[in-house]
Amino acid sequence: MRFFVDVGESFRIAIGAIWANKARGVLTTLGIIIGIVAVITTMTAFNGMQNAFRQGFASVGSDVLYVSRMPWVIMNDFFMYRNRPRLELAEAQQLERNLQGKAIVNPSMSGNRDVKYNSLRVDDIRIIGTTEKQSVMSTSVPELGRFMMAFDIAYKKNVAVIGQEVNDALFDMANPINKKIWIGRKKFRVIGVMEKQGGSTFGGPNFDRQIYIPISSYVKAFGGARGTDIDIAVKAPSQEAMADFEFELIGEMRKIRKLRPMEDDDFTINKLDTLMGVFNSVMGVVLVLGLLVTSVALFVGGIGVMNIMFVSVTERTREIGIRKAIGAKRHSILLQFLFEAAVICLVGGLIGIVFASILTAFINATLMPASVSIPILAIAVLISVLVGVLAGLVPAFKGARLDPIEALRYE
Amino acid sequence: MTERAAGMNSLVLRDVVKTYVMGAEEVHALRGVSLDIDKNEFVAIMGPSGSGKSTLMNVIGCLDVPTTGTYSLEGQMVADMSESQLAEIRNRMIGFVFQTFNLIPRADIFHNVELPLIYGGMPRPERRVRTEYAIERVGLADRMHHKPNELSGGQRQRVAIARALVFEPSIILADEPTGNLDSRTGDEIMTMFDELHDAGQTIILVTHEDYIAAHALRTIRLKDGMIESDERQAKSTSAVPRLVSSLPTSAKEAV
Repeated sequence: MRFFVDVGESFRIAIGAIWANKARGVLTTLGIIIGIVAVITTMTAFNGMQNAFRQGFASVGSDVLYVSRMPWVIMNDFFMYRNRPRLELAEAQQLERNLQGKAIVNPSMSGNRDVKYNSLRVDDIRIIGTTEKQSVMSTSVPELGRFMMAFDIAYKKNVAVIGQEVNDALFDMANPINKKIWIGRKKFRVIGVMEKQGGSTFGGPNFDRQIYIPISSYVKAFGGARGTDIDIAVKAPSQEAMADFEFELIGEMRKIRKLRPMEDDDFTINKLDTLMGVFNSVMGVVLVLGLLVTSVALFVGGIGVMNIMFVSVTERTREIGIRKAIGAKRHSILLQFLFEAAVICLVGGLIGIVFASILTAFINATLMPASVSIPILAIAVLISVLVGVLAGLVPAFKGARLDPIEALRYE
Repeated sequence: MTERAAGMNSLVLRDVVKTYVMGAEEVHALRGVSLDIDKNEFVAIMGPSGSGKSTLMNVIGCLDVPTTGTYSLEGQMVADMSESQLAEIRNRMIGFVFQTFNLIPRADIFHNVELPLIYGGMPRPERRVRTEYAIERVGLADRMHHKPNELSGGQRQRVAIARALVFEPSIILADEPTGNLDSRTGDEIMTMFDELHDAGQTIILVTHEDYIAAHALRTIRLKDGMIESDERQAKSTSAVPRLVSSLPTSAKEAV
């Protein structure tokens, strides 16, 4: 009860004191505003990058394992992987036979080519030779026309399913279906357009700048089998059994490669989790560094508040004397100044949140999918109050310890 | 309680010594003061500057504790109390009225008067009633939500008196309450003290003006940290005629 009476009074005094010195309050608050904006924006930017990354790979199923020659992320010596044998189409077919009825196996090979339609041309498009099973591996579907089917692959048809950006560049508003395009020096008939997948913000491939063609046609048209690497996508029977299935897959591949027990794998199993993990650990470091730098701004703001609180205590020495004479205890005075500091910082924090939200909306509109979340706001409010209390502590103690007689005499 | 029952004394000082250390020197502000003040006494403490009257006032007001000697206020031994206990005593048992009014400038009259009740932890509805009553008692009900700087000196001092009265303290301790007022408003304030005394309030007044001290029924003179004289007197009338003309009719009847 007593405590709440004190808190109510402290709060009232704090508001009154800040109101009495508006210009000073605004300037002091500015430091905190800048600090809070910096902290929130760092956090939302980090969140945005994560979202962008996730979106960029959204169409790649998280229950798909990729057998490749090289790991997606090479953390150590590249030369360890350089002399590995290429994956052959025959090996993919062998793997498919061995996993029959258990998992879906989809080989693919890719290379970059320029693509032309009439006089229009787009450079450096990723051409992916694959099978009809690609549609099982990824969640994205054609927006227009159809995807490849088994007979396209079987009869080595020159058909192409093009990405959104390719479609926009070559056909604009016109209907692309059944139009003939040049991929490199071969003619292909467009049978479908994939839906927009977006996101290549952070190093991920741009799924909208690629074209799917049958793997058989790819080999025929671009001669691939010898020169190009193939990747084998394997869809696990279930998300839960991923880990077990990964071992089984390694086992099957070792059988195909006829590796002896002591020999190391000469292939790599890649998966989305690995990529996400690497991304998170790298970004984690970036976030910590970012927060360290931005908290310097907050720290400077806190020092500003401390400075003002010292001034405030000195200015109100006589008031402290009066309050003590009529019965204020140390903790009442302490609470009064702590509240004042906390309120200054809280106001700064709230204004900071408003600015940060505007900034985040701007980032969201221009750079990446970022948004201010409730936990981030809660943290910001908490931090600003904490800064206030810490900054107010020493000045408040100074005020609370004043001798009432001395304080009353102060001019 | 036993002490109080024995002599009806509300305030008992015994051999109070107060020594300050200023650098290497010791300053003996009080050199052994013994003093009893009963309930409903009106005492003036006088003395030249350096006589120790401010120190005595601080000790009586529980702003300071004696170096040696004892002080009991309504049976409570003050000398050994902690800072926080002293704050409680000041809050509930002592009402200060200062020469410079010492109101809090940013707060309105109501809040200034309410403040001791807030520190006393009183719930809001009760605070409101008591505060309004105290402000009405000093005749400022129409100024309740003004700021101190919107009031005249005399009105400010009346606010200070209301603040001193609000918790119904054992003693009102007034330190040169008319020192910053012209003589007419000073007289008004003194009349207010007379009325409070008539209503049963114990008042201790520190002053160096004889005509102010004349309102009291007992004058204690200090010199060099000791009591020089302690005289009781009949209510002096010398000061009264001077202010009769300036008083509102209700006050005239009281005289």
